[in-house]
Amino acid sequence: MRFIDEFINYMSSVDAAKLFRMFWFFFIFEFFRFFLVEISTIIFWKFDSIFRKKGIADARLSLIKNQPLVSIIVPGRNEGKHIYKLVNSLKEQTYQNFELIVIDDGSDDDTAAICRNLEHRGMITAFYRNDVRGGKASAANLGLRFARGEFIVHFDADCSYDRDAIENILVPFYYNPKIGAIGGNIQVRNYKESLCATLQALEYYDTISIGRITTGELGIYRVISGAFGAFRKEALDRLGGWDIGPGLDGDITVKIRKLGYKIHFEPTAVCQTNVPITFNRLIKQRLRWDKSLIRFRLRKHRDVFFPNDSFKFSNFISFMENVTYNLILNIKWYFYLLDMVFNFTSQLIFIIPMNIVLYTVNNFMKFLVFSPFRDRKNEGITYFLIYIPLMVFYFGYFLRILRTVAYVQEVFFKASYKDEWNPAKSSRQAKALKL
Amino acid sequence: MSLKIVPQNVEIRNNKIEFENLLFFIIDSNSNTKIEPLIGYDAIIIDAKDADFAQLVLRKIRGHYNPEFYLKPVFLINYKESKDPILHTMNDGFIHSYDQLKEIADIAKQLFLKTTQLDYQPVATFEAQIIKKVLNYMYTRDLKTLKPIPDLNSVIGYTYPEISINFDSTEESQVLEILEWGEKEGLIWPDFYERIYLCNQCSGGFLSYREVCPHCNSSNSSAQDLVHHFPCAYIGPISDFRNNVDNSLTCPKCNKALRHIGVDYDKPSIIHHCNNCDKNFQDFFVRAKCISCTQDVEVQYLIPKSINIYKLTKRGRTAAANGFLSSGKEVDDIFGTLSMPVFKTMLHYEIERIKENTEQKSSIAIINIENILELYKKIGKKAEKTVLESVVNLIRENIKPTDFMAFENSTTLYMCLINNDFIQTESDLTKLKSLIEKLIKNNFNDFEVKINFKASLLQPFNKSEFQLDELTKELFD
Repeated sequence: MRFIDEFINYMSSVDAAKLFRMFWFFFIFEFFRFFLVEISTIIFWKFDSIFRKKGIADARLSLIKNQPLVSIIVPGRNEGKHIYKLVNSLKEQTYQNFELIVIDDGSDDDTAAICRNLEHRGMITAFYRNDVRGGKASAANLGLRFARGEFIVHFDADCSYDRDAIENILVPFYYNPKIGAIGGNIQVRNYKESLCATLQALEYYDTISIGRITTGELGIYRVISGAFGAFRKEALDRLGGWDIGPGLDGDITVKIRKLGYKIHFEPTAVCQTNVPITFNRLIKQRLRWDKSLIRFRLRKHRDVFFPNDSFKFSNFISFMENVTYNLILNIKWYFYLLDMVFNFTSQLIFIIPMNIVLYTVNNFMKFLVFSPFRDRKNEGITYFLIYIPLMVFYFGYFLRILRTVAYVQEVFFKASYKDEWNPAKSSRQAKALKL
Repeated sequence: MSLKIVPQNVEIRNNKIEFENLLFFIIDSNSNTKIEPLIGYDAIIIDAKDADFAQLVLRKIRGHYNPEFYLKPVFLINYKESKDPILHTMNDGFIHSYDQLKEIADIAKQLFLKTTQLDYQPVATFEAQIIKKVLNYMYTRDLKTLKPIPDLNSVIGYTYPEISINFDSTEESQVLEILEWGEKEGLIWPDFYERIYLCNQCSGGFLSYREVCPHCNSSNSSAQDLVHHFPCAYIGPISDFRNNVDNSLTCPKCNKALRHIGVDYDKPSIIHHCNNCDKNFQDFFVRAKCISCTQDVEVQYLIPKSINIYKLTKRGRTAAANGFLSSGKEVDDIFGTLSMPVFKTMLHYEIERIKENTEQKSSIAIINIENILELYKKIGKKAEKTVLESVVNLIRENIKPTDFMAFENSTTLYMCLINNDFIQTESDLTKLKSLIEKLIKNNFNDFEVKINFKASLLQPFNKSEFQLDELTKELFD
C-alpha cells in the first residue's frame, strides 16, 4: 500500500514534459502507430465502405453471374485426419464452382490412403502426392501446376471456413481488377484451450483483424496467410508459384506486389484456425515467422528499398513500415531500456509499473474501441477483458524478446536455412543461391 | 458289316467284342454319338484317334445322369497325350492294341463289382444329386481328392473333371457352387490351392485387368515423372523441363539447368495424363474387362472365389457307398409343400380317416421329372428353386386346398389327393403333366421335360411308408 501511495505521489508530481521524456517510446511509436493511425484508418474505412457498398454488390453479382472456376489447393504433410472434415465443410459453401486439389508432401501416416479414398468417392477433385517430401512451396506449386481455375484459393487442411468465405474472398477480384491477391480474416478457433491460445486470440484480433484492415486500407498489407488466401492464377503462373520457405506467404505477397497488382485484405472472408496451445510450440512458430523478416525483406527483396525500374512507392512504404515497426523499433526498445536504466536509475521502480499501466490502459482502450468494428467475434467482450492485463507481458516482452532472438539467429547464423520446416536438400540450394 | 480279327482270336463284329463274359462296344469316329444304345454293354472302348470326337463321347457318357452310363467302364485306344483334362482323366485306362483286352477286362470287372455296392437312393436337391454322382464315381475309381486343373476351355480357367463333366464349359462357375455345397454338407474338405476372381455378370474368369483414368475409365493414358527443382520449388511433369534445342532439362520457372538428381532436383513421383479426357491423375483405377461378356467392371465388384483341392471326408467316403441324407432345406422351404416327415404324418392321419369312412376314397401319387437335372445345370442353383416354386404354384392352382404334397427331392414329388378316386386322380395327373411341360417349355427356350407319374388308391390297412415305397417302385421299375 505504501508503494502504491508513493507511486501515485511520484506520478502526480511528474509534469507533461517529463512524462513524455520517460515514456517517449510509448507515445512516439506505440500509441501513434498502433492506436492513432489504426483508429483513424478504421474510421475512414468504415466511412468509405458506405460508398463502396454498391460497387461491392455489383462485384458480387458479377461473380455469381460469371461463376469462374476456382481451384482450392490444400498442400500439407500428415494432414489426412483433417481432410474429411474440410471436404464436408466445403459442401456448405455458398460458392460451389470449385475444384478441390489436395497435395500430400510425402506424408508418412495414412494421409495418402484417406485422400485416395476421398478422391475415388469424388469428394476431392484431384489428389497428388510427392512420395519424397519437397517442402510446402513445392507441394503448393504441384497443385498450382494442375489447377484449372481462374482463381487459386490456398487453404490449410486444419482450418475451417465460414460458409460464405469463398464467395467473400472472391468478390474483391470483381470490384477491382488490379487486385492480384486477397487475404482472408484468420480467427483463432481453439482460444479457450489454454492461456497461450487465449492470448494469441487477442493478438489475432488486434494484428490480423484490425491490423490488416489498416494495412490493407493504407495499401501496405504485406502477408497473405497460407491458411486462407486467394490469388489470380495468371499472377501465380507469371511468378512460377511459391518460392522456398519458411516465410513463403510473405514472399509471394511481395512478388505479386512487384508485378504491379494490388493486395487486398477481406475481413468478411473468415477462416478459423487452431493456434499452438503451448508456449514451447508458439516459440518455435514465431521464431520461424520472425526470421523471414530478415531473410525476405532485408535480403531477398532488398531491391524494394532502392530506386530501380520496378520501384513502387507503396512497396517501399510497406517494407519500411514492416522493418521500422518490427526490426528498428525492436532495437530501439533496448535503447529505451538502456536510456531508462542509465538516466532514470532511481525512478526505475516507478517507471516500470507506469509503463505497464500505460500499455495496459492502451490495450483496454484499443480492445473496447475496436470491438465495434469487428463484425465477427468468437466470444463476448467480457471473456477477454480479464486477460488484457497479460497482453503487456505477452506482446510487450515475450514476443519482443522472441523477435530479438529470431533476428539475431537469422542475421548472424542464417538459421532459417537450417529450419526443419523445409527439407534440407531445398534449404541447401536456397542458401547457396542466396534465395 | 466290319469284321476284324484281333489276337487271341477275338472277333470285333459290328464294333462289339465279347471277352471273358464281358461285352465291349468300340466307338470310333464313324459311330453314332448317341449313347443310349450303349446301356446293354459292360464297357466301352473309344477310339481316340480323333481326340475331339473321343472327348465328345466321353463327355456324353460321364455327363449322363443315369449311373448305368456315367459309371460305365470306358477305355481309350489310340490315345495320344491330350490337353483336354476330361479326356485325360475321366477314362478308366488306355490301350494301344486289342492285345491288352485282358488288362482292361480285369479293370472293368473290378469297377463292375464296386458299382454293385453303391446305393442309388434319390437325394433331395440338384447339388446333392451331382455330388452323389461324383462321390459314386470317386468310390468306384478309388479317387480320394478332387483336383482343379488349369483349363483354357473352362470359363473360370480351372476345371474339376469329375464335376465339370456335368456342365458345359460356360457353366463352370456352377461347379464351384456345387463344391461349396458339398463342403457345407461335410462331404468334402477344402485345401486352399488358388484364388480367382470372376466377372459379376457372367462368372467368367478370363479378365483383362487394365489401369484406367479415374475420371473417364479410359486406358489411353501416358505417364511422366514429376520433377521438383529444389532452388525455386517448381514442380511439374518432366516435359515442362524439356528444352526444344537439346536434351538438357531447364527449369521453366528460374531458367536454370538441372544438373544432378538428388542435389538440385529430384523426381518425387509420377503423373498420368489421360489422352481421352485430358485430365491428370496419379492413382489410376484398376478395372477388369471380361473377355467372355465384355463387361467392364471395377475390381472390387469382381466375385472372389477360392479354388481348392477337395478331399473326401469320412462322411463323404461313407456317403459314396451308402448314400446320404442331405439337409434338403431348399425343397423343404417351398411354399405350398410340406416336408417329407410331415407329409408322412398327414398321410397317416388320412389313412386313419378313410378307415373310419370306408365310403370315401383318397389317392396318392408320385410325379417325377426325369430330365429336369439337365435344366438345372443350365439355369443354376438359384433358378432351381424358382422352377420348383412355379411348378408347385401351378399344381396348387389345379388341386383342392385340402390336398397336400411334399418333395422327395428336386425331381420327385409326392401328393395326396383327398376324396379323389383313382380315375379322377389319373385324369388330374395327366392334366398336370401337360401343364408342367408347357410351363417349362414356354419359360426355358423350348426345353422339353419328361414327366412320369403313378397313382394309386390309398389303402386303409397299409402303412403310409409301405404305400409310398410301392408307388415309387412302380414308377422307377
